[in-house]
Amino acid sequence: MKHPLRRLARALAALALIVVLAAPAALAQEISIGMLADLSGPTADVSTPYASGLRDGAKYINEAGLLGAAKLKFTLVDYAYNAQQALSAYKKFTSQDNILFLQGWGTQDTEALTQFVTKDKIPTISASYSAHLTDPSKAPYNFFIAADYSTQVRAALKYFKDNWKESRAPKLALMYPNVPYGLASIPPAKEYAKELGFELVGEEIVDLKAMDATAQLLRLAKAAPDFTWIGGTTQSTAVILKDAQKLNLKTQFFTNIWGADENLPPLAGPAAEGVISLQAAVAYGQDVPGMKAIEKLTGGKPQMTHYVRGFASMLVMAEGIKRAQAKGKLGGEEIKAALETLRDFDPMGLTAPISYFPDDHRPNMTAYLYVFKGGKMELLAKQSLERKKEWLGK
Amino acid sequence: MQDKCGLFFCSYRAESALFPSGFQRACLAAFLLALVIIPLGINSYYVSILCLMNIAVIGAVSLNLLTGLCGQISLGHGAFFGVGAYTAGILAAKGVPFLVTLPASGAVAALAGMAFGLPSLRLKGIYLAIASLAAQLILEYVFLHWESMTGGSNGLMLMAPEIFGLKFDSDIKMFYLTLAVAALTVLAVSNITRTRPGRAFVAIRDHYLSAEIVGVNLFAGKLQAFGLSSFLAGVGGCLWAHYTNFITPEQFNIGLSINYLAMIIIGGLGSVLGAVFGAVFLTVLPEALNAVAALAGQMLGGDPTASLAALKGGVFGLVLTLFLIFEPDGLAQRWRMAKAYWKLYPFAH
Repeated sequence: MKHPLRRLARALAALALIVVLAAPAALAQEISIGMLADLSGPTADVSTPYASGLRDGAKYINEAGLLGAAKLKFTLVDYAYNAQQALSAYKKFTSQDNILFLQGWGTQDTEALTQFVTKDKIPTISASYSAHLTDPSKAPYNFFIAADYSTQVRAALKYFKDNWKESRAPKLALMYPNVPYGLASIPPAKEYAKELGFELVGEEIVDLKAMDATAQLLRLAKAAPDFTWIGGTTQSTAVILKDAQKLNLKTQFFTNIWGADENLPPLAGPAAEGVISLQAAVAYGQDVPGMKAIEKLTGGKPQMTHYVRGFASMLVMAEGIKRAQAKGKLGGEEIKAALETLRDFDPMGLTAPISYFPDDHRPNMTAYLYVFKGGKMELLAKQSLERKKEWLGK
Repeated sequence: MQDKCGLFFCSYRAESALFPSGFQRACLAAFLLALVIIPLGINSYYVSILCLMNIAVIGAVSLNLLTGLCGQISLGHGAFFGVGAYTAGILAAKGVPFLVTLPASGAVAALAGMAFGLPSLRLKGIYLAIASLAAQLILEYVFLHWESMTGGSNGLMLMAPEIFGLKFDSDIKMFYLTLAVAALTVLAVSNITRTRPGRAFVAIRDHYLSAEIVGVNLFAGKLQAFGLSSFLAGVGGCLWAHYTNFITPEQFNIGLSINYLAMIIIGGLGSVLGAVFGAVFLTVLPEALNAVAALAGQMLGGDPTASLAALKGGVFGLVLTLFLIFEPDGLAQRWRMAKAYWKLYPFAH
C-alpha cells in the first residue's frame, strides 16, 4: 500500500512542480517585436515621433491587456536610414530577439527587407506607403495602415474635381524632389488627373534640401496653376511656400503625407495658411476613442500626426496577433493570414477603417484632407475612392 | 625594412614576397582558418555583419587603389559600386549565371569608372574630387530615371546567387562567397602594388612631373587606376545586390562614397591592410553604438535609444577627426607600431 501512495505523492509533487514552473511562463508569455527607426539619419524629424507612437502603442497594448496574458516585448534599433544598418538590425531581430513581427520605417529599408521578411515569414507594417508594397504577389508579408502614396494623390484630385465650380478645366502643377519617394506618385497623379479632366500646366523639381525655389515658382507663376502638388518633406514644403508668398503666387498647394505636418506653421509662418495636407490619421486632440488613451499616455502633451499613425499601426498589429492567438497558433504565417481577415477594423478611430485581403493589402482607399488654419491642422474632408483592381500596386 | 631581424634574402623575388617568413604564413593560415570556422558557431546576426564586412573590404580596398595608391580622389565610388549592383540585377533578371555576372558587373563598372576618369588627366586634387562628385550625381540620376533597365524608384529584385547548382541562400553561405571574393581582392590589390603599373600609380601620386620624366604614361596610369578600382567596386556591388536581394538608387548615394573615403582614411591611405582595418572598423562602429545604447537601456532602465541616437553622428565625426589629428596614417600605422613594439620588446629602441 505504501508504494502506490508514495508513487502517487511523487507524481502529484511532480505535477505541482510543473504547474508552478509553467504558470509564470504562461502568464509571462512574451511576443517579441522588432522596431526599426531613424533617430539619427535624414528622416529623424518624422521617424522620432513615429517611433514614440510605436513605443506608446506597445505600452498601451500591454497595460490594457489586449493580448490577454501575453505581453509585447519590443527592441528598437536606430538604423539611421541606411540599408546596410537596416539589414544587420533585421538579422539581429531574427536571430537574437526571435521577433514575430516587424514594425519598419522607410522605403529604403522596407523594400530592401521585402524578400527577407517573405522568406522568414515575418509580417511587417511599415511607414513606407509605396503602392507596390500593397501587392501581395510581390510583397506578401508587407502591410501598412495608410492609403498608399498613389491613392492619396488620387483622392485629393478627386476631391478638387468634385468641388470645382468653373466651366474650364482645372489647371494642375506638380513639384517634387528627384528622389524615389518624390517620383513614386507622379505617374499615377498624371494619369488620374488626365482621366478626371485636369490640365497639367507645369512640372518642377525641388530638392529635399532646397534653400530656394524661386526659379521653379516663377516658371509656374506664368502657367497659373489652380492646384499645385508638393511631394517633398515638411522642410522643402516650407521653402516652396515662403517663396510662393514672396512672389504672390495664388494657387491651392496640397502636399502628401510627409510633405506637411504640425511643424509646417512654425517653419513657413503665415505662408502655411490654407495649405492642404493629405493625412491618414487623426490629429492630436481630435474626439475619437483612441485619443483618450494617447492623451493619458502622453500626459496631454500634443504629439504629431506621425505619432498617431505609429500608435495605430501597433493596434492593427495587435489585432492580427489576437486573431492568430484565437485560432490557436501564433506564427508569422498565422498572423499574416489573420491580418488578411481584417474587414473594416477600426483602430479606435485613429485612422480610417482597415481591411486587408489575401490578394490586396491596400488598408483602405481613404485620405484625410487637412487644411492649415491659424497654425493648426483642421480636418477639411475625408475622401474615399473605389477599390479598383487596376490600381493595385501602382 | 619591417622584416624580422635575422631574415636574409638571397634574391629580389624572395625579398618582394608577400609573406616572407614562415611565422607570417602560419599566422595568416591560422587567421584564415579561424575566419572559416568561427562563423559556424555564431548566430546569423554576427554572420551577416561579417558578410557586410567582406563587401565593405572589397569597396574600401578598391578605393584605396585609386585614392591611396594613385592619389586620385574619388567621391563617386558609391556610384561605381552601384553600377556593378545594377549590372548584376539586370543580368540576373535575364538568367545570366552568377559566375558570368560577377566579372561582367566589374567590367561595366570599370567602363563607367574609366569614362568618368577621363578628366583626370587635366584635373587634380580637389578639382578631380568635384568631377567625381559629378559622376556620382549623374550615375544616381541614371539609376533613378532609366526605368526600363533599373526599375527606377521601384528598384530591382534579385535572387540568391547560384554556382553550379549550389544556391547561396543563407548568411553562412554568402559569408563564404563574400570571403572568397574579398580575399581574392585583397590578394590582387596587394600584388598590383608590387607590379610595374602599381609602382607607376605610386609615382603618379607622389609627383606627377617626376613620374612623367621617368617614363610613366600619366594618362594611361590614371585610367588604369580608375578602371581597376571601378572593376573591383563593381564586383563588390554585385555581391551586395545578391546579398540584399533588392537594390534601389538610394543605396548608392553620396553617403556610401563618403563612407568608403572614411574607411580608407581611418584605415590608412595607401595601405591594403589599412583599407581592410577601416572597412571592419566602420562596419562594426554603428553596431557597437547600437549595442551600447541597448546596454545602457538595460542598465539605466527606460529607453535611452532616442537620446543616444543623436550622439551617433557626433561619435562618427569625432572618430574621424581624432584619427586625422592623432593618427593621420590610420589604423595600419597603429598596427605597425604595435608590431614594432613587440619586435623590440623589452627594449624601447
